[in-house]
Amino acid sequence: MGFDLNRLIRGRVWKFGDSIETDAINPYYLYPTMEELKLHTMEVYRPEFPREVKPGDIMIAGRNFGCGSSRPGLVLREVGIAAIIAESVSRLFLRNSISRAIPIFVVPGVTSLAEDGDTLEVDYPKGVIVNPATGASLPFNKYPAGIEQIFECGGLLQFAYERYIREAALAGRTRQEKQE
Amino acid sequence: MTQTMAEKLLTRHNLAGKEVRAGDFLEARIDGAMCHYHAAEPMHDLAIEAGFKDGLPRVWDRSKVYVLLDHHQPTLSQKLADENALVRREVERLGIQCFHDSEPGIAHQMMLDYGLVRPGELVVGNDSHTLGYGSVNAGATGITRADMLYVLLYGELWFQVPESIRVVLDGKQPDYPISKDIILYLAGQYGDDFAQGMSIEYSGTLAPQLSIDSRMCLSTHGVEVGAKFAMFGMDEVTRQFVSARTELPFEALTADQGAQYAKEIRLSVDDMPFVVAKPHQFGNVVPVDEVLGTRIHQAQIGSCANGRYEDIEIAARVLKKHKVAKGVRFLISPASQQVYLQCLKAGLIETLIEAGAQVITPGCGICQPRVGFLSDGEVCITATTRNFKGRKGSAKAEIYLGGPLTVAAAAVAGEIVNPKEVFSGL
Repeated sequence: MGFDLNRLIRGRVWKFGDSIETDAINPYYLYPTMEELKLHTMEVYRPEFPREVKPGDIMIAGRNFGCGSSRPGLVLREVGIAAIIAESVSRLFLRNSISRAIPIFVVPGVTSLAEDGDTLEVDYPKGVIVNPATGASLPFNKYPAGIEQIFECGGLLQFAYERYIREAALAGRTRQEKQE
Repeated sequence: MTQTMAEKLLTRHNLAGKEVRAGDFLEARIDGAMCHYHAAEPMHDLAIEAGFKDGLPRVWDRSKVYVLLDHHQPTLSQKLADENALVRREVERLGIQCFHDSEPGIAHQMMLDYGLVRPGELVVGNDSHTLGYGSVNAGATGITRADMLYVLLYGELWFQVPESIRVVLDGKQPDYPISKDIILYLAGQYGDDFAQGMSIEYSGTLAPQLSIDSRMCLSTHGVEVGAKFAMFGMDEVTRQFVSARTELPFEALTADQGAQYAKEIRLSVDDMPFVVAKPHQFGNVVPVDEVLGTRIHQAQIGSCANGRYEDIEIAARVLKKHKVAKGVRFLISPASQQVYLQCLKAGLIETLIEAGAQVITPGCGICQPRVGFLSDGEVCITATTRNFKGRKGSAKAEIYLGGPLTVAAAAVAGEIVNPKEVFSGL
């Protein structure tokens, strides 16, 4: 199923610091299954997080979010995080999020836009993050068309499959034409 | 137009055939795909998730996919043994030609040991430390599992051309490896993301003096400061290393005079102190003199950052004259069987064992909570890649990162010391 970037995302904020590493997001060395990960994600920074996070919440963080090993933030989607917004994002975490169509936005200054428990809105078509309580907002750069397409497909896996089917159909037609 | 190494690399590999500049997006042709355990094992499930009901239907080029069962060899559980068996079946079914199955070691080291990476190539791997191949003038970087599925099918992948940062290292190579100190020092000075999304080009008067081992450490750690690539230029040292391992032709990468860099950082290593990263982040760096006397329980040398001959040789030089301190577990893991053999033939292993060190089977385990767990309250100093909380088991343990000489000195002193105290007179 595709991910619709154009749908407004509105949620309660969980705020984290700089250089949050993928070992903290996915402590899979200790908890190898998704069910266990859901009970322990981010606990080294906020022990209450796995207990109190609610579907639709938004995570904001400082610079270099998702540094360390290449591990996707699937567990964050599983516990209901609707969007991740950070001052900057490690390139592999960003790539992982795009690959799995997990909404992530690089917004310099976001940690001064909201405090823990505030509400934030992500308006992708307008390219702006808004704190409705204070009226403050910050612009951000939209993705290039090629990456928006990956989100629309629901991730790179589905994107790869669609290409395969398209090319197989084309090759089939070409073969048929040659035979005729 | 003048180009950085990254711009030249991606222009050469651009499927659209056009010149690209920093910031451009492109579809690039891939020269090699390194799949270690983490990629190979879940790939079947990912293919099914994508829609291929019988798993991955093909790989784009059977000679360009390298599968190495590095993280789990020999296997430490039934589950892992069963997963490795699945990988073997998949390799057979897909006809993948290069498969390192029954050989323990770190994939990145084996890729270089066996000449599977050549200068000027665009090589991707399912591991963040794939950047290490930049040590031999290759454009190499880590990609995600979903990216790998795409690469395996098509031999292509999207990239954004990175901006480039020039890291100019000047000074004289001392009689011991200093790459770990260099990268830690830079992370301490400029932050653990000073090269976020960028391509590092190492240069300066020190660069030609650096061994391939030292270059591998610096390139591998590019990812610890956020980089997409971390490359050295081509020189005689590289040429000798590569030509001893592969006969395939290659086209080296050289930056043009006048290429545009987003940043330049200079460091003179002659004035650089020994440094360590304190718990729990790579950029939490202080001169070793600020943490003198910190009692340690475990010391380690290994990983894709520091499991090489020169890292182990310096430890052996220290242990030739000193025993491992009582109450300290000193773990040393060569990066590959080839490195292990090199150390063995040089007599290093005998010295290490006689002095009380433990030699661990080559592999990634020493850098993870797989071999040598820490208990609550324990302190470890390690020349491996990362010191995140819980990286070696207990979240209540403390991990310091340091160079191999600093680690060996701490192992014999039982506490963090300035390595000069131990090293003088070696």
